Amino acid sequence: MEFLTWEVVLNALGEVGSTVLYIFAGTVLLELFVYFLWTPLRALSRRVDGWLDPLGDRLRHLVATVLMAVVVVFAVRAIAVGQTPSPWAPYWPLTVVVFGLGLFISPNALNIFQSELRLAYMLLAPAVVGLLLLVVFPLLWELNVSLTNLNPRHFQSPDYIGLTNYLEVFTKPVLKQVTFFPVLLRTILWTAVNLLFHVTGGMILALLLNRKMRFKGLYRALLVFPWAIPQPIAVLAWRGEFHFEYGFVNIMLQRLGLPAIQWMTDPTWNFIAMSITNIWLGIPFMMVILLGGLQSIAGDYYEAAELDGASAWQQFWGVTVPLLRPVLTPAVILGTVWTFTNFNVPFFINQNELETSDTLVTALFRSAFQYFNLGDAAAFAFVIFGLLLVFSVLYIRVTGGLKGAYE
Amino acid sequence: MKTRLIALVAGLFVLGMVLAACAPVATPTPEEIAEAEPESVEITLWTKEGEADGGLQFVQSLVDAYTEIHPNVTFELVNKDVETLREDFLTAGLAGAMPDLLWTVNDHAGPFTDAGLIMSVDDLFDLDMYVESALAAAQLDGKTWGVPISNGNHLMLLYNKGLIESAPATTDELIAAGQELTTSDQYGLVYNQTEPFWLVPWLGGFGGKVFADDGKTPTLNTDAMIETLQFLYDIKYTSPIVPAESDYDGADALFKEGKAAMIINGDWSLGGYREVLGDDLGVARIPEVVGGEWPHPYTSGVYFMIPDGIEGAKLEAIVDFIHFVTSANNQALMVAKLNRLPALEAALDDPLITNDPLLKGSADQMVVGAPMPTVTEMRCNWDGMKPEMQAVLADTKTPEDAAAAMQTAAETCIANLE
Amino acid sequence: MTATTIPERKQPTAFQRFFRARGREDSPFGRLLIHIALILACVLSVYPVLRVITISIRPGDRLLSTSLAIIPDDASLEAYRTVLVEKEFLVWLWNSIAITAATAVVGVILSATSAYAFSRWQFPGRIPGLIFLLSTQMIPAPMLMVPIYILATKLGLTQSYRGLVLAYSVTSVPFSIWTLRGYYDTIPHDLEEAAFIDGASSLSAFWLIILPLSAPALVIVFLFNFMAAWSDYLLARVMIASERSLWTWVLGVRDFQSQFQTQWGLFAAASIMVMIPVVALFLYSSKWLISGLTLGSVKG
Repeated sequence: MEFLTWEVVLNALGEVGSTVLYIFAGTVLLELFVYFLWTPLRALSRRVDGWLDPLGDRLRHLVATVLMAVVVVFAVRAIAVGQTPSPWAPYWPLTVVVFGLGLFISPNALNIFQSELRLAYMLLAPAVVGLLLLVVFPLLWELNVSLTNLNPRHFQSPDYIGLTNYLEVFTKPVLKQVTFFPVLLRTILWTAVNLLFHVTGGMILALLLNRKMRFKGLYRALLVFPWAIPQPIAVLAWRGEFHFEYGFVNIMLQRLGLPAIQWMTDPTWNFIAMSITNIWLGIPFMMVILLGGLQSIAGDYYEAAELDGASAWQQFWGVTVPLLRPVLTPAVILGTVWTFTNFNVPFFINQNELETSDTLVTALFRSAFQYFNLGDAAAFAFVIFGLLLVFSVLYIRVTGGLKGAYE
Repeated sequence: MKTRLIALVAGLFVLGMVLAACAPVATPTPEEIAEAEPESVEITLWTKEGEADGGLQFVQSLVDAYTEIHPNVTFELVNKDVETLREDFLTAGLAGAMPDLLWTVNDHAGPFTDAGLIMSVDDLFDLDMYVESALAAAQLDGKTWGVPISNGNHLMLLYNKGLIESAPATTDELIAAGQELTTSDQYGLVYNQTEPFWLVPWLGGFGGKVFADDGKTPTLNTDAMIETLQFLYDIKYTSPIVPAESDYDGADALFKEGKAAMIINGDWSLGGYREVLGDDLGVARIPEVVGGEWPHPYTSGVYFMIPDGIEGAKLEAIVDFIHFVTSANNQALMVAKLNRLPALEAALDDPLITNDPLLKGSADQMVVGAPMPTVTEMRCNWDGMKPEMQAVLADTKTPEDAAAAMQTAAETCIANLE
Repeated sequence: MTATTIPERKQPTAFQRFFRARGREDSPFGRLLIHIALILACVLSVYPVLRVITISIRPGDRLLSTSLAIIPDDASLEAYRTVLVEKEFLVWLWNSIAITAATAVVGVILSATSAYAFSRWQFPGRIPGLIFLLSTQMIPAPMLMVPIYILATKLGLTQSYRGLVLAYSVTSVPFSIWTLRGYYDTIPHDLEEAAFIDGASSLSAFWLIILPLSAPALVIVFLFNFMAAWSDYLLARVMIASERSLWTWVLGVRDFQSQFQTQWGLFAAASIMVMIPVVALFLYSSKWLISGLTLGSVKG
């Protein structure tokens, strides 16, 4: 046990400080690397381009793509799954060579190594390296695992079983009894209900606050509380409130003469409890965004609309909503994705681990960690990821959300 | 420009290294100890003991005491909650970064042996000196995978002498007494209605078991289970003596506030209740089922487990440490501090236990306990029983349907384990 | 917008001027209703927090009680005293502050530079890059824990801050890049071009002109990184859980829970104490946050 002595303070500072400096130094090294290599690489790519020109662009694209595909496949297979290292791992220098080859053979190489772009790539390099390590590598690892049957029974050397896990995501029960599609539907319902209330509630509050008034700052401060509280604490506090005997909600219900509700054991009420909690948590975010958007709408629009004889309702739909679209769209996408993948609320409010209250992400978590069925879980995770990606792309297309407000 | 850059980089590196060296390293470096003595050993011990019931402090004291006697052995003590410990150990196994010793619960042996991450202890210890039931809870495939430290972790009937003079001996007496005591702001009996751990004793009382004789095939859809579920339903709805909804904290709070005459809870809660109720606390067996048997709550305890691959001086140190912890003296210490029953057979006769009515009652209950199965399939049983038990108690399913559903769920889950 | 002659406006009275907002007038009664609605919303917003405070000042580990009183009869600050004095709470807080501050600084640097590249250059791979960044927000977090742990172990980055700071900074980079890029897009190129004409290099234009202009956005990114790292549990558990002296407050507070029992009083007290700096920081910066979230998006 340690207490906050000077030694401890300095310990933490030293650790953190040295970390930051190492990162910084590493970054500078990386930058220098890119800086000095650029010109020679550019010259090289020009040369290679000259040699390969007769082959024609089509062929070169083809070869380059094939080589890159080989690199990706290798990367996936070389990552060790289970405890035994993959037999492909020692050949990694080859990959670098193949990657280089693919890069230079491709006709795009000229484009990449332009001298004006050197600074751009230098600026990007640290983030790229970081993302490679912390996002790309885990994704590749998961991809690899999703093709195996890694679980405690097949731990040291799991077997490759191809796409079986992916098929089983849709056919076998996720955990015990409930299969994929009911959970998916429930998750969609969860997301839709929450988002509806988030946007509506946020909009109402934003509209109320969007005026000169006294205590505006105070109201805004208090209303932002649910967002500012660390989520785990908020969720556990709410879980306490839904307790049958001692929770605030049931006590109030009983004082009003209504029967107490079994929030934790009844599937429907549990879902409602989850939703209430998440709505409480999510409204401030929407409110803040919408308020910002409302504040940036010039008053002239409203005045003009009033002069044209528009009612408040018409003003809202004709002026406010379209002008809020560029703000609403990213907020809705983010809100949807965050609600869909929200883990804390469904997991902790569902104290009794009712399978009927699981969303996709909580089911994934239980499957992954309670049974350590990493193969199944990885396939499951990719399916979820794919769904969200498709949704986002569709949403952006359908609403034209990335267009400006003035079109 | 270039020289300045290079100088900057060099300067940063030097600064970074200076800072890293200056920061006192959090863990004691083995090198320092190695210089003093030849065979220095550092043991990373993961324990599931927390601070709430004094467990972690006890482990820390053991570790400190051992290091005093053997200065060349130091420990890195890390505590993790039970679920976290299991997950982290398996993850560490994947990365090849396992700790050196585990102090954990028996049902971890199932998944850990499946993954081949721990070693059997039959050859390393003379296991005869430990209590049979404690050993049984850590045996799989004919081998023993853990050295028991404490025995018990079992449920029993605790009662408030201020509200009820003596504990009921049979279920009929329980219901009768409970009904007298249940008023608008008081309950006869409370228990954690959400966990099947509290269902299993009654299942035993009705003559049922969760596994067939092979220890792996679930037998949840049996008459005994239906009767058990019916019984739990009855004490809530037909002849109500328990609250309408009650989890662990709810039951605990009600008992501590004096709003419940009896509670079914485990040996870990003895200390807390002793503090609140003092001499008013009584311990007894869970009442005998009329027409059946004494309920068999699951007994297990905590165990030392040794990860696979440990050898040499480290293994020797670990074996010695385990002997130290399970020696008679330290077992007696554990009884006194943690109110747990010892795993060492010889320590059971210690007057500490025989003279303490609470511990005596606890031991009395343990005698009719059943060792908790440690196979990985057991988890499927737990997960299958839990929602169905809750459904019956929420009056949304009949006991027959629930029992059938439990069985299907467990079977599906076990099939998935492959 | 049709072109109409704007009729003569009556001069509003002082009373009306007081209540006027954006050309729309509210009646005093409407005003009252609005205040009532907002007060109600605030109560709903704050009440659960008050309950947590109640748990923290209620003696004994009693999570639950049938009394709705905010301040129980036997209230005591014992839990706070225990957490502060007998537990290593201050150590955890200090660790959290150190890690989070470092994360935010590194995160800002990483994303500011990269976002600038995305904004000002049309390099090959720009659009796929942006899409990739957006899609990282959709990866379920638990999915990444195990492989990050394996990688970190192999690189020796666990049980020290190195891996954790790196992980925190990098995982919030995508969102930061999106935000900053949007903001940079609203800064016209003319400014830099003027600088180039004056002989500045790209880098110094970035450093001396763009960065100061984008200070609000940088503050926002700093705050987001801070918030994300402050309450994070998954990454902290994976990276430093075995090294108790390095625990953040999240890991420490988790420790109050064990399999069946939880020391609720301590948990609640620690939670309240952790909330205070976060809420304060949040409120102080909410001005920035509001303006920042809409920056670059209204302009399209």
